[in-house]
Amino acid sequence: MPTPDETLDSVERTRIMAELPPDPHRLPARGEWFAGDAERHLLDRPKFCPMCAGDLEVDGGIATEYWTGDTRNFMTWCGDCGWFGEVVRFDMVTITEEEH
Amino acid sequence: MLTVEQNEELTQVGPGTPMGELLRRYWYPIAFEEDFDDVYTKTVRLLGENWTLFKTPKSGRYGIVAEACPHRRASLTYGVVHEDGIRCGYHGWKWDFDGNCLEQPAEADNQNFRNRVQQKAGKAEVMGGMVWVYVGPGPAPELPRFDVFVMDGVKDCGYATLPCNWLQIMENSVDPHHVEWLHGQYFEFLGQTEGFDAPKAFQKKHMKTGFDEMEWGILKRRVLEGGSEESDDWKIGHPLVFPYFMRVGGAGIDQMQIRVPIDDTTTWKLFFSNHAPKGADLPEQERPVFYEYLWKDENGRFITDYIEGQDVMAWVSQGAVTDRTQEHLGRSDAGVAMLRKMFKENMKKVANGEDPIGTVREKHDRIDLPCEKDKFGAEREFAEAWITLGSSRYSPIKQELLDLHDSAWANREKASADA
Repeated sequence: MPTPDETLDSVERTRIMAELPPDPHRLPARGEWFAGDAERHLLDRPKFCPMCAGDLEVDGGIATEYWTGDTRNFMTWCGDCGWFGEVVRFDMVTITEEEH
Repeated sequence: MLTVEQNEELTQVGPGTPMGELLRRYWYPIAFEEDFDDVYTKTVRLLGENWTLFKTPKSGRYGIVAEACPHRRASLTYGVVHEDGIRCGYHGWKWDFDGNCLEQPAEADNQNFRNRVQQKAGKAEVMGGMVWVYVGPGPAPELPRFDVFVMDGVKDCGYATLPCNWLQIMENSVDPHHVEWLHGQYFEFLGQTEGFDAPKAFQKKHMKTGFDEMEWGILKRRVLEGGSEESDDWKIGHPLVFPYFMRVGGAGIDQMQIRVPIDDTTTWKLFFSNHAPKGADLPEQERPVFYEYLWKDENGRFITDYIEGQDVMAWVSQGAVTDRTQEHLGRSDAGVAMLRKMFKENMKKVANGEDPIGTVREKHDRIDLPCEKDKFGAEREFAEAWITLGSSRYSPIKQELLDLHDSAWANREKASADA
């Protein structure tokens, strides 16, 4: 899957958009510069709690996305069980070696 | 980054919205006592609704009711204030402090009609020279008497109405890194290009930051270059006081930064300061001094050659409501994500019928909040920068405050020389 900072041509965009499930959520207008990042956030954010499997949307949870290096991290709180932690989406696992 | 729906849920403050219902569980300053020196009523706007704030002529008791009279929706601000309530100027319908209808002059005296019409009403009290109101459901909590508003000292308060949502201002309070950039490097750049000395204390690099959830909100800590975990900035820190304050201070100055959500796109932003440097002979002060601070010049540009002006630029230039679907947060924004989680958590508490964080139900005299005394390791430079390079530059008592700190410093030096 393309990463948020890759430029998508129209064919690829059409393919990805066709894969998006029917979703009542709204997106920023297509012309917005970062509309693609917003689309990916909607698609990739955690939907269920890693601890209790509660629906993050229905039970009042929240996932705030932030980036570090090549990873996309979702600081997540579950409104059902109160679990608070991070869900990290990897494309490649990288490790920075300490001086040794 | 959030979805459109999450962003709306966090920023809409009107009646019936999840955030609006949460915010209505707290008290807000909405006017100054001095506003009522010459008038008995004032229209105020809070949480997306208009209200009539009134003060009775003899007892000086304050009340707050929804502005539109339930009869024909005329403004109650142009009514007659009685000792037991307010009477609409249009047809004389009279309302008590709880919104009960006491009289309907042109109607047959039929209690069934009066009892069926209830005006929306809240509670109003005075603290720190300001009129505070609570417009949520009963029973109203106690008005929290945070230390800055009730401690001894010389008080002044800058205020301005900013055209942006209150949440983007609150997020600034859990974003420590902006200090070394906005108030450090950007300020230094301005100083070099415009010919003044920017304070160096704000340029120190952050080596470590931390956030703790605590009973009043989020405690923010930092270790700056040259400091350690023994410094006040880490050992004590200072709190974001949920849901709309930040407590800061240092060098004998204590301040509550207040962000009152007027509506979705407007915030009343106050910097309420108390000056009580050690060694000072504190003068008597009848009331705090309130003044408006400027944030745009005559050409419409943000005024950024002072600390709070830089913050205002950063908040207001994000837009009326920050579009968080277009943001790109990093690890350094962990505090911001934590704050959003705290809001969601407390919205859920309210939805479940519980009190949110920071609700005070016990009578008390004063609530002390943790806050650094030695800020940025800067001491005297910090106090002078605060007054001359902060919003206090617009204060009518700016010189008195500088003299107060100077004389306190001299007294302390003399005491230590004598010792």
